[in-house]
Amino acid sequence: MLTCWEMSELGSDIIDQKLSFNSRMAVMMHISMCKNCHRYIKQLTLTSDVLKMLPLPVQPQEVARVLAAIESQDQK
Amino acid sequence: MIDESELLTDLKNAKPGAAEKVVALHHGFLLLMVRPLVGEDLANDVVQNTWVRVLAAIHSFEGRSRLRTWLTSIALNEAKALLRKYRREISLEGWGEDTGSPIADRFKESGRWQTLPHTWHHNTPEALLTEAELQECISKHLHRLPEAQRGVVMLRELGGLGFAEIAAELGISEGNIRVLLHRARQTMHAMLNHFEEEGTC
Repeated sequence: MLTCWEMSELGSDIIDQKLSFNSRMAVMMHISMCKNCHRYIKQLTLTSDVLKMLPLPVQPQEVARVLAAIESQDQK
Repeated sequence: MIDESELLTDLKNAKPGAAEKVVALHHGFLLLMVRPLVGEDLANDVVQNTWVRVLAAIHSFEGRSRLRTWLTSIALNEAKALLRKYRREISLEGWGEDTGSPIADRFKESGRWQTLPHTWHHNTPEALLTEAELQECISKHLHRLPEAQRGVVMLRELGGLGFAEIAAELGISEGNIRVLLHRARQTMHAMLNHFEEEGTC
């Protein structure tokens, strides 16, 4: 039987589906009985999804600087 | 959300404003992605070369992957090319290291939860990202991650590359990459959890 600590260590292997058949069975059994680990794995998945969608906007001045630099490199 | 296929069409047709839009959307990402690989001194040059290459080759991009994933592959190639020019290699110091669980103190010795995970107010990525303060907080903590962890998060989560591709590009094992990614996700989860519980960054 996996402990909650072990579940937290397996977190990314669970959400990335990198587990062997036996480990997957053990994880499913634990999750079906432990709402805390169910919640943690769900939140870890949400964290990963947030990172996937994270915008990292830049200031308009920076955009203008980059475009000017591209243009001058193009002309070389 | 920006419609990527519309932006792509505009870029291919050289519509005024399209280049500004794509740079505004992805420049910050590219800089943060290449910094852990080439260092602060070369990052700007790598990203600039990437944009020149991207805008010249935009007609060959068929949209089979996300635009950001295509940009990531090009930036990686440009990073390697520039490093070769300076006879340098990607510095992978710390990339084989496991810093350990950032939430070890939340467990009892028996392996059970000591500090229980609580329900969050937001339960979708869209809901989380509508909070401007939270978006800023995520970005701040992303910058604070150890360089190797940040590098993997940028390539995998934001960039969308597969584990095998990252491993092949960097010459480190998939196992190492998965450990780095897990620690980074756990740290970012702890940050989001703090925000959900306390309402502050």
